[in-house]
Amino acid sequence: MQDRPDQSQRRFDTVLIANRGEIALRIQRACHALGLKTVAVCSEADRDALYGQSADVLLCIGPAAATKSYLNKDALLLAARLSGAGAVHPGYGFLSENAAFSAAVEEAGLVFVGPDASAIATMGDKIAAKSAMMAAGVPCVPGPDQELPNDPAAIRKIATEIGYPVIIKAAGGGGGRGMRVVANETALEEAVTLTREEARKAFGSPALYMEKFLQHPRHIEIQVLCDTHGNAVWLGHRDCSMQRRHQKVVEEAPAPGIADDLIDAVGSACVAACKQIGYRGVGTFEFLYEGGAFYFIEMNTRLQVEHPVTEMTSGVDIVQAQLKVALGETLTITQENIRCVGHSIECRINAEDPTTFMPSAGVITGLRLPSGVGIRVDSHVFEGYRISPYYDSLVAKLIVHGETRAEAIARMRGALAELSIEGIATNLPLLRTLLEDQGFARGETDIHYLEKWLKERSAA
Amino acid sequence: MSQVDFTDPATIAELTAALEAAGVDGLEIERPTQGVRILLARGRSPIVDRTAEDRSAVVPASFVAVKAPMAGEFLSHDISRSAAPEDHPQEVESGDVIGFVKVGPILLPLAAPASGQIVRHVAEHGAIVGFGDPLFEIEPRS
Repeated sequence: MQDRPDQSQRRFDTVLIANRGEIALRIQRACHALGLKTVAVCSEADRDALYGQSADVLLCIGPAAATKSYLNKDALLLAARLSGAGAVHPGYGFLSENAAFSAAVEEAGLVFVGPDASAIATMGDKIAAKSAMMAAGVPCVPGPDQELPNDPAAIRKIATEIGYPVIIKAAGGGGGRGMRVVANETALEEAVTLTREEARKAFGSPALYMEKFLQHPRHIEIQVLCDTHGNAVWLGHRDCSMQRRHQKVVEEAPAPGIADDLIDAVGSACVAACKQIGYRGVGTFEFLYEGGAFYFIEMNTRLQVEHPVTEMTSGVDIVQAQLKVALGETLTITQENIRCVGHSIECRINAEDPTTFMPSAGVITGLRLPSGVGIRVDSHVFEGYRISPYYDSLVAKLIVHGETRAEAIARMRGALAELSIEGIATNLPLLRTLLEDQGFARGETDIHYLEKWLKERSAA
Repeated sequence: MSQVDFTDPATIAELTAALEAAGVDGLEIERPTQGVRILLARGRSPIVDRTAEDRSAVVPASFVAVKAPMAGEFLSHDISRSAAPEDHPQEVESGDVIGFVKVGPILLPLAAPASGQIVRHVAEHGAIVGFGDPLFEIEPRS
């Protein structure tokens, strides 16, 4: 990135962080490192969070319910106006992929730290996203980049051409919602009708599309970074196959067992796609990987929860890079400079029962965090912190780095043993057991592995 | 329309714009738990009187806190009479306007929730305050 000789000429000097929890603190640290002032916003439930005290301004914007605070566009814009913020960082979740919010922020004369509204809208529409990716040469799951027609015969023809099993998805869906797998032609018509109705109710649009259903894919994603001057790079790839109900539990970088030339080709295609659509900021291309081939599923137009594993292996501070792009700076890093060094693993520590997965609210009465070489903890909690029932259950992200995957696993086992959180239930016992699992140690498990593993354990 | 939230700045702005467009001087809406009164003073800033933020939440404690109904700039001066000095207790009647939160062009008057004495000014005049921030403490008259 370019030097900052004259800070008075920067596009903004204060960033409103429109989020909460660990990511609010993560963004605040990046801002302060760049000499930017921060405005923390909170709901009434988060008044006691320590990251509020370390912000330059803390403003409570509404009651605990997210719809009245962190999802309240007007309250956030008002807070930006009151505090004199020149930019808004949406973090992840909440309004981070809301095209209308990006547009509203820019209409208010502020900088949205993320892509513009049209890029968010395109990628939010799964058919439009697929179409854009196919045009850019990014490999996609077999199936047309078009909305399914209404005629049952035409739908049958498409399914036959793709080959069963197929999956029917809502164009406006995501996160595992609004989809149905069809094993054969007999079940096709009813499945289309049901999914169409669900899509209409849940996403406000009955538009559906159909793809080949991959049976044992892995979830592999590519991190991209683009400036506003036509430069784009990819920073590495991650394996996020360890999922439960489409929620990632353990992530790692790089994805094990992928040939360098193959991932290089996919990464280059992602960069080409970014340049083609004029994408700005950070983003993640999510792929299914099966039988040695990559299939694009969606693009996340924001910072990801699991971005630290790429930071650990690439050495790039992704949040700082995101802010520099928003400041209008030119990327100085080139693809040739980017290396993937060693191996990194992240465990999401959630406040939830390790067997029933019920969220666990309450006060943290004791906290011992691991430390040492290659260990990083991203967390906003402290002893005496009250876990609120209003938001997601993420308490901390435990991230390790080692020279090899085996070293990273060993380091994670040690760190998980050292980590202790008292007063609330957490998924620590589950993570400790999972990290001892032979299948995990071998690597290259598919996206169904964790669910099956959990089922077998509960049956035993 | 039963779900309209009068604590939402967008709602107040919309109502104000509608009044201006219609050339109407004011409106008042009463609900069991919320009420809003908007008076348009021609040529001046519109004045909104949000009465009884939550009438069901009467706190039977010895002191009653007056909190900011939304984020904005706190103005301690009661513009309906002379500014009260902050160094000695100030007698108020329930419903008296004891300060304002300025939100853009709108002044939200802060009504005393009980008759009694203002025993503490928590926020300073001109400070940026957040939703629910305590602004005054009142010791109710028994």
